[in-house]
Amino acid sequence: MRRISLSLTYLIFLSISAIILGLVFYSPMPSLAGSLANHEIQFAVMLSLVTSVLSTLICIAIAIPVAYALARYEFFGKRVTTLALTLPLTLPPLVAGIALLLFFGTTPWGKALEAAGFAVIFTPLGIIVAEVFVNIPYMIRILRSAFSTINPRYEHVAKTLGCTDTGAFCKVTLPMARHGLLAGAVITWSKAMGEFGAVLMVAGATTMKTETLPIALYLNISTGDLDLAVAAATILILISLITLCVVEYFDRGVHVF
Amino acid sequence: MLRIKSLSVTLGGFAVRDVSLEIQRGEYFIILGPTGAGKTILLETIAGIQAPDTGIILLGNRDITSTEPRLRNIGIVYQDYMLFPHLTVKDNIAFGLNQRKIPIDQQHAIIDEMCTLLEIAHLSGRYPGSLSGGEQQRVALARALVLKPEILLLDEPMSALDGRTRERMRMELSRIRRLTGTTIVQITHHFDDVFTLADRIAIMREGRIVQVGETSEVFLHPIDTFVAEFLGIGNLIKGQSSRSGNIARITTGSGPVFYAASSIYGEVVATLHPEDVILSQEPFTSSARNCLLGVVSEIIPIGSTVRVIIDVGFPLMALLTRESCHDLHLGQGCRVYATFKASAVHVIPVTPQECKKN
Repeated sequence: MRRISLSLTYLIFLSISAIILGLVFYSPMPSLAGSLANHEIQFAVMLSLVTSVLSTLICIAIAIPVAYALARYEFFGKRVTTLALTLPLTLPPLVAGIALLLFFGTTPWGKALEAAGFAVIFTPLGIIVAEVFVNIPYMIRILRSAFSTINPRYEHVAKTLGCTDTGAFCKVTLPMARHGLLAGAVITWSKAMGEFGAVLMVAGATTMKTETLPIALYLNISTGDLDLAVAAATILILISLITLCVVEYFDRGVHVF
Repeated sequence: MLRIKSLSVTLGGFAVRDVSLEIQRGEYFIILGPTGAGKTILLETIAGIQAPDTGIILLGNRDITSTEPRLRNIGIVYQDYMLFPHLTVKDNIAFGLNQRKIPIDQQHAIIDEMCTLLEIAHLSGRYPGSLSGGEQQRVALARALVLKPEILLLDEPMSALDGRTRERMRMELSRIRRLTGTTIVQITHHFDDVFTLADRIAIMREGRIVQVGETSEVFLHPIDTFVAEFLGIGNLIKGQSSRSGNIARITTGSGPVFYAASSIYGEVVATLHPEDVILSQEPFTSSARNCLLGVVSEIIPIGSTVRVIIDVGFPLMALLTRESCHDLHLGQGCRVYATFKASAVHVIPVTPQECKKN
């Protein structure tokens, strides 16, 4: 058993490494550097960075109070709410994307938003909306798990020491949950950087307009420009590696699923 | 000073039901009760953390029933201390002072004084995670005490400490109370705390206060069998303990003398479990140090056992099986010898001063 299981483990490890490294080293180095300097790739990097950072910030802002409510309070419909909040986690992003497309494209609310200047469909704003929708369950789950491991008595003590409810939360619970917050932010950000299906549906795949890194990869592979696709893929691999390291480092007390 | 009137609180499966209490300024008040009696909820309601369903809480002449915790000036120290793990010891102690916007230079003076009082100055740069239980406890006390609370609430403060630390902490609390004059309300189920620290105690059961009174009063005159049984009282004998060789000689007010394997001297309460008392018609030679002659005053059957009360100058309770009771031909008025080992007698000091000689 030991021999079989260890052999299999090594085999899988080598396969994964070979497949990934094969991609990274597909283009010769000078050509990869050239591709990275390509202004389409640079546009994609910038757009991905801006949208992913903004969507992560929005996720954090929404998830902190929601996760706190789920961790601390009993309320009517808590189970259903929790389930609904978790659904985007298991929903294929393409499906989430088409749901968003229909919501913003066909409903009166969507049209009202567009009239008010918040055009979502086929715009960079749509990228952010799609990323938030798909990723917020991760942020909520990670933060809920982080909050629920913190004894509410810490806040009780803080209140007797002069804090308001909000003060106790900000000065005690939030700093105590900082590892969860950081891990959640990094996971959310990295998923946003790599989000494809939902973004494709909502924002479309328009070169130099809604072209994030995964979209750039898709567009360039469609047109046969393999070098640019590999460059986009290499950047995405780098981001995954960074995420993995950060999450491993702050893994204590944080459960993603 | 603190007056609670008809207070009721429900929280999950726990409840406080129609509790009324008055606690005097400077008093050390201990609330005793089994797990689930609602002690912690009562404490949290006094602190303002839980809102009562009905009832009034008055601090001095101030109605604080719906005052926010931060405006009550009541400190709380939980069983697990709840030191903020992301702050150093010093920042933990300074937490309340910062909230009150006390200038930094004044803070230093206050913190230094408190650290000296609690002997924790050397810990100030450390994080709570690296402290022992006793050290954490003292930091938690300091954090609450720097605000000079009108009342300090202690939630089972000794239960997480080992025996020796607990003993030291008990003296510490007694000293703090003497030096600061803080009114202290503590909940506990450890009887030694009660004898060493409390001026008065209240016994709580299923959310209600069953009995309130001076410590010795409650121990000597439990209001009902619940209190007596909860307090674990089989035999509680008040007396004067003095050194006799390696053990203690206890002289009771009514005359009889017995021995206890203890080095606690002074005014004491000796406890003896009824099942540790052996009855015989004639005295017999044994390793047991105590053999008292008495008269059976009462025989109470309880299930398969029998509780026999013997008047040996004070009422002494013995627990026998029905068979033994029958074989001894025990009846009211019978003369009988009660034998028990000195090591079966537990001696509890009545005042903290006695404790120090230990």
